[in-house]
Amino acid sequence: MKKSASICVGILLAVSLSLIGQGYGEDHGGDIHYNAPVVGVLFSHAVHVEENGLDCESCHDGLFEYEALAAQRQPDFNMQALYEGKFCGACHDGDMAFASDTRCTLCHEGVQGYNRALGLQTADAHH
Amino acid sequence: MKRILPDLQKMQNEGVENIPVEERRHFLKMGLTLTGVFASGTLFSMVSSARTAFASDPGFFEKYPYKPHYSMMVHLDRCIDCERCKKACAATNDVPSYGYRTNILEREFPEAIGVKTEFIPVLCNHCNLPQCTRVCPTKATYKNPENGIVMMNTTKCIGCLSCQMACPYNARYFHEEKMAVDKCSFCWESRLSKGEKLTACAEACPAGVRIFGDLSDPKDRVYKEVHQIEKTVWVLRPEAGTKPNVFYTRG
Repeated sequence: MKKSASICVGILLAVSLSLIGQGYGEDHGGDIHYNAPVVGVLFSHAVHVEENGLDCESCHDGLFEYEALAAQRQPDFNMQALYEGKFCGACHDGDMAFASDTRCTLCHEGVQGYNRALGLQTADAHH
Repeated sequence: MKRILPDLQKMQNEGVENIPVEERRHFLKMGLTLTGVFASGTLFSMVSSARTAFASDPGFFEKYPYKPHYSMMVHLDRCIDCERCKKACAATNDVPSYGYRTNILEREFPEAIGVKTEFIPVLCNHCNLPQCTRVCPTKATYKNPENGIVMMNTTKCIGCLSCQMACPYNARYFHEEKMAVDKCSFCWESRLSKGEKLTACAEACPAGVRIFGDLSDPKDRVYKEVHQIEKTVWVLRPEAGTKPNVFYTRG
């Protein structure tokens, strides 16, 4: 009996540790680096959740799926859709948050930023 | 640096009273250049009049040396470093992974409010007074007398890399397979000479950063954007005095 109880505790511990390891400890999804239709667009959960106090349902109620990068599989995931109030454009309309057609490089980290974030090699042209 | 520092500290301050006027002038020019408001040689270059934005002598303003006078206007604040231009360029002009004909530089302003990053597309400026063609010992690189494009004759290139040293814009690399220096030619061989109107990079840009056109045609968008005073227009490294044909603006 004692043995099985300790096994149970062990399993619980292992499960909770693995959950923390997967980033569930920080209560949000971290940085999302989109690579389509253009490479290098950063969505920061830290900025939106921690700094601006949004909760999960603010966006994950039909606007965005919980799965990372699911949005970029949509054929209309582009700037035009944002201007029409879809995706990020639901808030980034110049009223609730800065408009989607301003401050480009605040979200667009570019190929260079993307490669840095993912630890990829940038082709170096200079020998 | 460690070895030089004690020597520097031992030196006496020469003061500013002995600096020649010429030297002072250079220093002031440098300041104006850094603040990005300086394009030609007059006080009026605080704003971009046609003459100053063109970064050329009045003679060039009156009469453009080439027809068409190929030129590019870069809208800096629209660049998002997606690098579709680089991809399109490489595919169009046989550019290897170790080289580039056009590149995107990144500049950070950590203290700025709002946007903190600026991407700067760079390419050959097809200068009116190119230094690269001047130093080439074999005339392998030359300025096309009709359209003003700075071109390469790869069969003449001996790979001395003098042109690379002379270029203020770092726009040249050595193409190992061609055994010659390679550079942007405004897609002359691959596109313009075949009747296309745009370079591959300008066509591939999804954000309208690179506006390619004819600086000598008053109906052309590049002409209109260079010859106005509402928005500041500048060139990179005007102090090199090469009269570049790639212009930059924001907004």
